[in-house]
Amino acid sequence: MIAAMPAPLPAIDFDPAAAFPEVNDMRAALATRDWPRVRQLLDPRDWAGRSLLVSAADDVEGVGDFLRAVLARHPGDTVAATMLAAHLVDAGWKIRTSLRAEHVSREQFAQLHDHLRQAEQILIDVCARDPGNVLAWQERLTTAMGLQLGQAEARRRYDRLARYAPHDRRSQSALLQQLCPKWSGSWDKVFAFARERMLAAPEGAQNGVLLADAHFERYHDFDTDGERAAYVRDPRVAQDIWTAAQRSVLHPHFRHEPGWVSTRSVFALWFGLLDQWAAAAAQFAALGHLGSEYPWSYLGGTSTLDKFRTEAYAKGGPR
Amino acid sequence: MIRQLDVDGVPTLMAATAGPMRAGLTFRVGTADETLGRSGITHLLEHLALAPLGLTDYHFNGATAPIFTSFYMQGSESDIAGFLTAVCRTIHDLPMARLEVEKEILRTEWSSRGNAAIDSVPLWRHGARDHGLTSYPEFGLHAITEHDLRAWAARWFTRENAVLWIAGERVPAGLRLALPAGVRQPVPPVSSALPRTPAYFVNGSRAVVLDSVVRRRTAAGVFAGVLEREMYRSLRQEDGLSYTINTGYEPRGDGHATLRALADALPEKQDAVLGGFIDVLAKLRVGRIEQADLDATVAKREETLGLAEVDAARLPSQALDLLTGQRTVTVDELRAELKTVTLGDLHQVAQEVTATALLMVPDGTTADWAGFTEAPTCSTHTLPGTAYREREGDGELRVGIDGVSYVGPGGPLTVRYAECAALLAWPDGARRLIGHDAISMHIEPTLFDLHPGAIGVIDQRVPADRRVPMPARPPEKIPQPYAAANRPHPPHQQQRPAPATRSWWEVPLMVLSGLATLGVGGITLLLTFGLFIADESDGDIGWLWGMVGVGWLLTVILALPIVLLRRRRR
Repeated sequence: MIAAMPAPLPAIDFDPAAAFPEVNDMRAALATRDWPRVRQLLDPRDWAGRSLLVSAADDVEGVGDFLRAVLARHPGDTVAATMLAAHLVDAGWKIRTSLRAEHVSREQFAQLHDHLRQAEQILIDVCARDPGNVLAWQERLTTAMGLQLGQAEARRRYDRLARYAPHDRRSQSALLQQLCPKWSGSWDKVFAFARERMLAAPEGAQNGVLLADAHFERYHDFDTDGERAAYVRDPRVAQDIWTAAQRSVLHPHFRHEPGWVSTRSVFALWFGLLDQWAAAAAQFAALGHLGSEYPWSYLGGTSTLDKFRTEAYAKGGPR
Repeated sequence: MIRQLDVDGVPTLMAATAGPMRAGLTFRVGTADETLGRSGITHLLEHLALAPLGLTDYHFNGATAPIFTSFYMQGSESDIAGFLTAVCRTIHDLPMARLEVEKEILRTEWSSRGNAAIDSVPLWRHGARDHGLTSYPEFGLHAITEHDLRAWAARWFTRENAVLWIAGERVPAGLRLALPAGVRQPVPPVSSALPRTPAYFVNGSRAVVLDSVVRRRTAAGVFAGVLEREMYRSLRQEDGLSYTINTGYEPRGDGHATLRALADALPEKQDAVLGGFIDVLAKLRVGRIEQADLDATVAKREETLGLAEVDAARLPSQALDLLTGQRTVTVDELRAELKTVTLGDLHQVAQEVTATALLMVPDGTTADWAGFTEAPTCSTHTLPGTAYREREGDGELRVGIDGVSYVGPGGPLTVRYAECAALLAWPDGARRLIGHDAISMHIEPTLFDLHPGAIGVIDQRVPADRRVPMPARPPEKIPQPYAAANRPHPPHQQQRPAPATRSWWEVPLMVLSGLATLGVGGITLLLTFGLFIADESDGDIGWLWGMVGVGWLLTVILALPIVLLRRRRR
């Protein structure tokens, strides 16, 4: 019997609109400068949905000027203010680039900080007017990190936010970054927070990915391949990844809500690292042609993703 | 009811009390009327006036504040009459024999006074004059003469510049206020050392302090109460970041009041207290003020106003209002005003508070991210003059005809002679110039390649009344080059450690020294190994061992420049 030639794997689509078509509606509303439509798209959604749409805004040319014009007309509009701040944060980080700090020039840092300060001052005002604005607090976690306002201040911001959204996974991921040693935190804090928030969230929610993220940060932070190889062989790590997966992507209540693509991707990557190719293949199958920048951006991007996917399908059974 | 009458030409306020009789005599003079070069004169005079009454069990006291000085007593009618009569007489016939002793007591009082977090705030807001002087030690004590004291008493401690208040039934029999005639003195002008507000400065205390200036009105006093409730709820009850929370509202005698707030912080929570503090201010600034906080604050005030002793309790503050020409209000008027305070009024106060805010933030934090401008820690300009290099480091001192500039780490610092608040002069030649803007420049002759005449130029140019002779220092207190730890830094220079910069020749020298060390050291090392391996019986190799010794010695000498240059940098 002649084995059939496998069809080439579909190319990965990294556009969030591929998983969530409403992202394109948002882009269209912003491109045509239709503020009532923007509000119409945002207002009925939960915080995760709004966060997804707001981060899509940045692809639209001239969105900063548009938001400033909206604010000039409606000075108290906390939605426009939050979007403008989010835009400033993104723009600042694009100037900084994602390179390691030693490769970023003094001028780039100065511009990042200037953008973050502008954003922060807008957000102070938004949170003062609307203390339950989870999106604004979430952005303030990012400004706090970039402006190095300190661990306790970041935690205070998260605690304020958590009163209104105790299981907001995006905010938890933002704080998890702050808790890492690279931002003056510690691994103890990272793992304690990840476990606590995973267990506090309902089963089947995406919060399980926090523990997988924590291990991934730890893994990525090692200096040598030898240390990394030893880490993935540690049975406690594998145990944690399986526990986290069973509470999230492997749980029957897992839903394809905003963020699910990167959540499944993290587990696909981890199962690959753990040599659990069947489990990895199941995640790739659920993802289909959808992909996210994170976590692959940590490990060389698309080429690593392709390698993992090919290997998963080769070793992990049918696709 | 508070009655107003006249005792020996001194306006007098009187109210009934169920308790023992109390009385206070207050003059419109205080530290804000002084200059830095003669600061402490009012306090010294107050001490001297009370000195002859020292060894008694009476309940009396004196107090020197920024714009007034008070003498206070509680006791029998005859005790009070005797006390105040004696004070008025002594003020103008001071026991000068006690001058040096009292100066010493005041110096001890200053050094034993705990440094409260809030003490440095006036300096940053006002500089080294009027309301800023309370931040400084009483530098003038050394220089104040008997003549100075007599002139000070004649100018300020007069009938027209005093107010008496009595909590009791009547003017004590035998009371005689024998004060010379004079004029009612206006409150001193209020200087500012802040080019922009809201501003912030960094201080080592574990607390965040807000200092602001508002128009004096009932709503502003209520706002202080509302702010305290909001801070208590947010920073203490909800977030558990602070233990001590308090606010204060103090009229300044010029239609404005100082409104302050403080929140302390655990060492690991200081950044969060600052963040939470800024959010509390923002909440009130955007007008999200709780009606319940307003109601509770007003209720608390009304309760105080309902006390039987309210008139007697208000006498000291009423006396100040009378003395500074401020509107005085009755309890009923105050009660009526309290009822009219709205959330809108408080919102207006909140905006005034944030617009004029000066925030004191803990070490390692800033507030620029929240829109606060850093208060100046150095000068914006330099003056030309003869340049003298710093012996250690790259700083340069410029002594000119208009003033002195320091250019170097932590600078530039400039003090113009005409704007010099005080020139502290030590017998060993050290000088410290403190400008009106609180920029302080300390000159240690041992640390600069100074021409002997340079200090003379400074001494000549600074007006004589600014000069403050300082006591001699023991030799070990005089800083020497290469002992940077000994070097006293003026307060402003401590704010920001300047990045170390290197002279052009240092790097090439260190590279050269490194290469030479490697070369000679390498050869010597090879030779040493060679000798160890070589067969001992190979004849006389004593001279080779000698070479090894010399080689190692040379290596150490060649490495010295690196070590010295590195140490110099620390």
